[in-house]
Amino acid sequence: MDFSEPAHLKDIRAEAEAFVVQHVTADLLEEELRTGDGISRPLLRAMGARGWVAAMWPKEEGGAGLDPFETATMLGVIRAAGGPTIGPGTTMLSANALRAMGSQQLRERILPGVAAGETLICLGYTEPEGGSDVFACKTRSVRDGDEWIINGQKMFTTFAHRADYCFLLTRTDPESHGPRGLTMFLVPMDSPGIEIQAVRTMGYERTNIVFYSDVRVSDDLRLGEAGQGLHVIRAALEAEQNVAPSSRTSQLYEAALAWARSAADGNGAPMLDDPSVRRRLARLAIDAEVTELLGYRVGFLEQLGAKPGPHAALFGPESYVRWSKEVLDMVGPAGMVDWTDPETAQGGTFEYHFRCSVASTIYGGSSEVLRSLIAEQLLGLPRSRPKS
Amino acid sequence: MNLALTEEQHFVRESFASLFANEAPSARVREAEAEGGHDPGLWNLLTETGALGVGVPEDLGGGGGGLLELSLIAEEAGRRVAPVPFPETAAAARLLAECGVGDLLHDVLSGSRIVSLATGSGPVERQLLTDGAVADIVLSLQGDQVVAVHRPAVVRRVSNMGGLPMARWETPAEIEILAKGDRSRRRFAAALDEVRILRAAALNGLASEAIEIGAAYARQREAFGIPIGTYQAVAHPLADALVAKDGAQLLTWKACWATTERLPRASSLAAMAFVFSAESAYTATQHSLHIHGGYGFTVECDIQLYYRRAKAWVTTFADPDRELDVVAERTLGPAPGSRRTPARTLAEGA
Repeated sequence: MDFSEPAHLKDIRAEAEAFVVQHVTADLLEEELRTGDGISRPLLRAMGARGWVAAMWPKEEGGAGLDPFETATMLGVIRAAGGPTIGPGTTMLSANALRAMGSQQLRERILPGVAAGETLICLGYTEPEGGSDVFACKTRSVRDGDEWIINGQKMFTTFAHRADYCFLLTRTDPESHGPRGLTMFLVPMDSPGIEIQAVRTMGYERTNIVFYSDVRVSDDLRLGEAGQGLHVIRAALEAEQNVAPSSRTSQLYEAALAWARSAADGNGAPMLDDPSVRRRLARLAIDAEVTELLGYRVGFLEQLGAKPGPHAALFGPESYVRWSKEVLDMVGPAGMVDWTDPETAQGGTFEYHFRCSVASTIYGGSSEVLRSLIAEQLLGLPRSRPKS
Repeated sequence: MNLALTEEQHFVRESFASLFANEAPSARVREAEAEGGHDPGLWNLLTETGALGVGVPEDLGGGGGGLLELSLIAEEAGRRVAPVPFPETAAAARLLAECGVGDLLHDVLSGSRIVSLATGSGPVERQLLTDGAVADIVLSLQGDQVVAVHRPAVVRRVSNMGGLPMARWETPAEIEILAKGDRSRRRFAAALDEVRILRAAALNGLASEAIEIGAAYARQREAFGIPIGTYQAVAHPLADALVAKDGAQLLTWKACWATTERLPRASSLAAMAFVFSAESAYTATQHSLHIHGGYGFTVECDIQLYYRRAKAWVTTFADPDRELDVVAERTLGPAPGSRRTPARTLAEGA
C-alpha cells in the first residue's frame, strides 16, 4: 500500500498554482461573492484553453488527458483559491452523459464548446414539489413533428441565467410514473418561452427557478430514446454521487489552524495554547484526513474501473457541516464578521463556510438518499422508499 | 498512490480470517470469558502460525513483514473478538527485536513465553495490566530504561466488563534492564504507537462484524409486518457506521504505511487512527445492539460481546478525548506549560 502522492501530481499542482495566481484575481473573487453565480467566463475560457474543463478527456477531444487524481488536484487548487468551479463541474456531469449516450451529430455540435470553456450546461432535474425524488417529474414534453413542446418548471437551476443549455428532464408519457416515460433534452437557454427568476440563498449563491412555457425544442436535441431518459440521467446521477466536490473540511481545517496560529485572547495569550482549541483542531484534523482518504479512494477505484460508492459524498459534506459550526463556536464573534468588513477574521471564511456548508448535504444527492443507497447496495437492506 | 493489498497481504488476511472464523466462534469467546479471558488453544495455534513474528525481521526468526501485515491479523482477530492478547504482544515482539533481545524474542516466537507491554503510566505494580493474567513478562519504560518485568509468584486477576485477562502485579517482581538512553525512550514510544495502530485495526474488524450482525438482523427481523431494515431510522445509522469504518480502515492503513516509511507524520496518524477507530467502533456496536431490541441486551446475543469490547479495547489503553491532546501535541506542537514530554505523548523522533 502506498499513500504517497504520485510524483506527477507535483507538476499539475505547480501548474494549477501558477494558473490561479494569473487567473483567480481579486476582482474575480469579489465578483463571485457579489453575484454568487458560480461562473466566471474568463476563468472558464482560460481553463478550457488548457483542456481543464473536460480535464479527463483525451487531448484530441479538447481535454487534457488527466487522470482522476490530477483532475482532483487541479480543481482543488482552483477551488481553494476561491475560483468558482460550479459551472464547469456541473456542465461536465451532463457533458459526460452526452458523450456516452448522445448521437454523433449532437456530440460534435456541443462537446467541443464544452471542452473549450465556451459552452455551459445547467441541470434541470428538480421541480418545486420534487426535491430528492428526482423522478417525481411533471414537466411535460409533447412531440410535434420534428420538434417537441415543453411545459413545466424547474427549481434550483443554478447558473441558468448564464448557461447555454439546460440538461432537462421531462415526462413524455403522461400515464407514466417514476423513472419510466421520461425523456432528456439539451434545451438552448435562449429559446422563446423560457423565463428565469433569481432565487437568492443564504450561502452567497444565486440559484434560479425556471419556467418553460410552450418552449419548442428541435428533436435533434433529444438525448437517448423518447421515454428512455432514465438511462441517460442515471449515469449523470451516479457520477454526482461518486464525487465530493462540496466538502471543504480540509479547507476549514487549514483556515482554523491559520486563525489559531495568529489570534490571541483578550489577555494576549495565543489561541493555539487554549486546551479547547487544541482538542477541537485535533478532532477536526482527523475528520479532514478521513475526508481526504475517502476522496482518494474514489480516484483510486475509478482508475481501476470500479464503482467507488457514495462514501465520500456522504462523509465529506456531513463533516463539513459539523465543523463549520464547531469552528465558528471556537473562533467566536470575530468569526461572524463577513468579508465586506475590515474586522473580518481570515477573510470572513468562517461565516462563509457556516452559510454554505448546509447546502452540501442536500444537493448532489441528500445525505438521506446516499445512506439509503449504502443500506440497499452494500448492506443488503430492503428499499425504504415506495416503489413507483 | 496504491490502496490495494499485495497478493501476499491478501493471503495473510485470508489465512487469519479463516483461522479465527474456525477457531474463535462466539461459543469459544464465551467459554474463554468465563475462564478468565484467554483461550490457550487458540493462542498456541496463533504462535504456531507465526503471527507474532510476522512483523519481526527474518534474521531474528520472524516473517519479515511489517505493521500492515500485523494490522491485517489484528483486524481479523477483532472481527471474531478472538480471546487472545494480540496488539500488545505483537508490539512487544517488535520492541524486543528493536532492542536486540534475541533470546527473549526467541521464546516469544516459539510460544514458550508471553511477553506483553505495560502501557499505562507509573510503575508496573500500580498499573492494571491488560494482559496481566496471562503474560510471563511485561515490558515497561522506567525513566529512560526499557525493562522486562517478570511475573511475580502471585498476581491478582481483575474481573472486568471486557472479558480481558487483566491483572495487577502488586508484589515487586524481578526486573531486567533491556535497553537504556534516549533511544530506548523513543523505541518504547514507538511501541505504544504500534499499539495504537493495532488496537485501531482490531476495532475496525470488530466494527465490521458488528455492522454485519446488525444488518443481518435488520434483514430478517420483522416489525409491523416488514423487515426492520426497511425503516430508515434503523438502516441509516448502519450506513453511517459502514462509511466511518471504511474511513477508519484507510486511516489505520495510512498510519501503518507512514510508520513503515518513517515519515514525520506517522505518530500523529497513529493517534488519529486510535481515536477515530475507537469512536467508530463504539457507535457501530451501540446502534447494532440497539436495533436488536431487548434481545441485544441478553447474554445469548453475540452483539453484546462486541459492544463491551468496543469500549474495553479503548479504555484499557486511553481516553480518546485525552488522546486528542496527543494528536494536538504532534500536529500543533507542545502544549504550553508541558515541562516534560511523557513517553505516552512522545512523538517518534522527537
